[in-house]
Amino acid sequence: MATSVGTRPTTWDLLRTHGFERRDFLRFCAITTAAMGLDASFVPQVAHAFETKPRIPVLWLHGLECTCCSESFIRSSHPIAQDVILNMISLDYDETLQAAAGHQVEEIRRKMIAEHPGEYVLAVEGNAPTKDGGVYCTIAGETFEKILLETAEHAKFVIAWGSCASNGCVQAASPNPTGAKPIHELVHDKPIVKVPGCPPIAEVMTGLLAHVLTFDRLPELDRVGRPKMFYGQRIHDKCYRRSFFDAGQFVERWDDDGARKGWCLYKMGCRGPTTYNSCSTIKWNGGVSFPIGSGHGCIGCSEANFWDDGPFYSRLATTRLPGVETTPQAIGKVAATVAALGAAAHLVSFGAKQVLSRDADKGSSHPETPQR
Amino acid sequence: MNSTTRAPVAPQVTYERIYVWQWGVRAFHWINATAITVLFATGLYIADPFLSANGEAYDVFVMARIRQIHFASAFLFAIAFVWRMYFFWFGNRYARSGFPAVWKRKWWSDLVRQATDYLTLNVGHGHLGHNALAGLAYTLFVIGLGWCQILTGFALYSESNPGGFWDGLVGWVIPLCGGSLRTHMTHHLFAWGFVVFAIAHVYIVLFDSRQYRNGLIGSMITGFKFKPVERGDDDGAKP
Repeated sequence: MATSVGTRPTTWDLLRTHGFERRDFLRFCAITTAAMGLDASFVPQVAHAFETKPRIPVLWLHGLECTCCSESFIRSSHPIAQDVILNMISLDYDETLQAAAGHQVEEIRRKMIAEHPGEYVLAVEGNAPTKDGGVYCTIAGETFEKILLETAEHAKFVIAWGSCASNGCVQAASPNPTGAKPIHELVHDKPIVKVPGCPPIAEVMTGLLAHVLTFDRLPELDRVGRPKMFYGQRIHDKCYRRSFFDAGQFVERWDDDGARKGWCLYKMGCRGPTTYNSCSTIKWNGGVSFPIGSGHGCIGCSEANFWDDGPFYSRLATTRLPGVETTPQAIGKVAATVAALGAAAHLVSFGAKQVLSRDADKGSSHPETPQR
Repeated sequence: MNSTTRAPVAPQVTYERIYVWQWGVRAFHWINATAITVLFATGLYIADPFLSANGEAYDVFVMARIRQIHFASAFLFAIAFVWRMYFFWFGNRYARSGFPAVWKRKWWSDLVRQATDYLTLNVGHGHLGHNALAGLAYTLFVIGLGWCQILTGFALYSESNPGGFWDGLVGWVIPLCGGSLRTHMTHHLFAWGFVVFAIAHVYIVLFDSRQYRNGLIGSMITGFKFKPVERGDDDGAKP
C-alpha cells in the first residue's frame, strides 16, 4: 500500500496493471460519478481525471477515536472501499489499515511530508487531547497534537473524519477531562472539510474522496465547513415518516400502537429535525436501512455537542446554562411562578396599606383619638 | 380635614384629557399581544404535541396546521415590529418615551424613583408616556426578546429550505447558537420570557391605573390618558 511514494501512477495506470479492461474502467468511472451525485455528462470528466491525474497521496491519522469511521469506510459499497484505497487514492499512512509497523511507517510519514509538501491530503480520524501537554494520546512516543500539527503544516487540505475530528464528540463532551479539541480548533491555516457523524456514512466518505480526486478541490461547503452535497438537508426533510409528523401522529411509547404502525418518533426524542446528514437518503450498509427505518429515533450524531444535548429520548433537550441542567420548559415555569408570586406579594401589601390608611382616616375623624 | 388630603384621590380634583397613544401604537399593541399569545400557545404544542391524531396520515394534518399558524403569526409579529419602529422614529413624543437613554442622568433618576414609588406604594410623580422602568422593561422584554425570537425563529424556519432567502438572511444564527437543536432550545427558553413579561406587565398596568387614576387601561384602546390639572407631570418629552 505504501509503495507509491515517489512513483505516483494514475488510477488508470494501476488498473491496467491489475488487468482491468477499458470497459471495466469506464463502468468504475460511471459508478463513481453517480456516487458523487453528478450528472452522467460528468463521466468523461471523471474518466479523464482518473487517466491523467496521479493518485492523491493520503495520510490518514488516528487520534483520540474509536475507529468507527474506518469501520464504516471499509463497508462502502459505491464505490467500494477497496477501489478507493487501491485505485483512487494512494493511502500512504493509516495505522489501522497499513501492513507495515513501527518506525518504518513513521519514516514513511516523514518522507511524504518532506518529499510531497503541499500535495498530500491529510485525513484525520479522532482529535487531539491538549491537557497536560497532550499526554493522553501518544503515538510512537510523540503526542498526537504534535504529529497532527506537523503533518497538517504541509498538507494540501485536511479532511476531518467523523464527529471527533469535526466537533469533538464524546471525549470533548462535558467535562472534557483530557481537553480534547476538534481539528478546526488546532489547525487554522489549512482548508478543512468536516465530515461529521459517529461514524459518517461510508458512501459519504468515499464520495468525498472521489470528488476531491476528480476536481482536485474541495466540494462546496456550508457555513460550518461540511460538504453541502451530503449535509445540505436535515434528516427530517427526507424522512419517510415525515407524513406522520405533519399529521401529528407520534409514537408515545416504544411498544404502543403508533410504534407498530411506524409513526413519527419526534416525541421519543428523534433528532431528525435538527440533524444535517444523508441518512434518510443514502442510508447505511449499502442502502439497507437507517436508525429511523429500524424504529429508533436519530440521536443527532453528526451534530456538534450531541452528547451534551441529551437526553436522547426526550424532545426537550437539557439547557446548558451555568449551574442549571434542566429543560427550557422547567426554567420558564419557575420564572413565571416567581413573577406571579412577586405580583401577588405586591398586591397583598398594596391592599394592606389601603386598609390600614382607611382605618387611620376613620380614626382621625374622632377627636379623642390621638393623631399619628 | 386630614381625610380629604390623605385619601388617594380627592373628589374635587379635575382631570385633563390628553391624547397620548397614536392609533399606530395602539394597533401595534393589540396585534403584538394577539400574535404573542398565539405564538406561545402553538409553540408549546410544537415542542410537545399532546394531541394524538387518529386515522390515516392523509386524513389529518394537525402538526403541520399548528406550525402553519405559528409561522403566519410569526410573520405578523415581525411586520408589527417594523411598523412600531416607524412610530418610534416618526410618531409623537410619547411613542419613544422612557427609552433607556443610559447616557442621561435624568433617565437613571427616573428609573430609581419609579421603582421606589412602585415598591413603597407611593404615588409620587406621574407620567403620561412610558416611565423609565416601563421603557427599560419594554426594551428588554419586547424589543430585545422580540428580536431574539425573530432571529432564532426565522433561522429555524429557514431550515426547511436550505440556501433559500431566509437561510441567506438569518441562517448564520444557527451556528451562532451552537447548532439546530440549541437554536430550538434557545427559542423555547426565550418564549417563556414573554410569559414573565405578560404577568408583570398586566399586574403593573392594573396597579398603575388604580394608583395614579390615569386611565391607563382604557388609553390603549382610546389613546387618551388623564392627569390631574394641578399635578406637574413629566410629559415624557425628555426620556
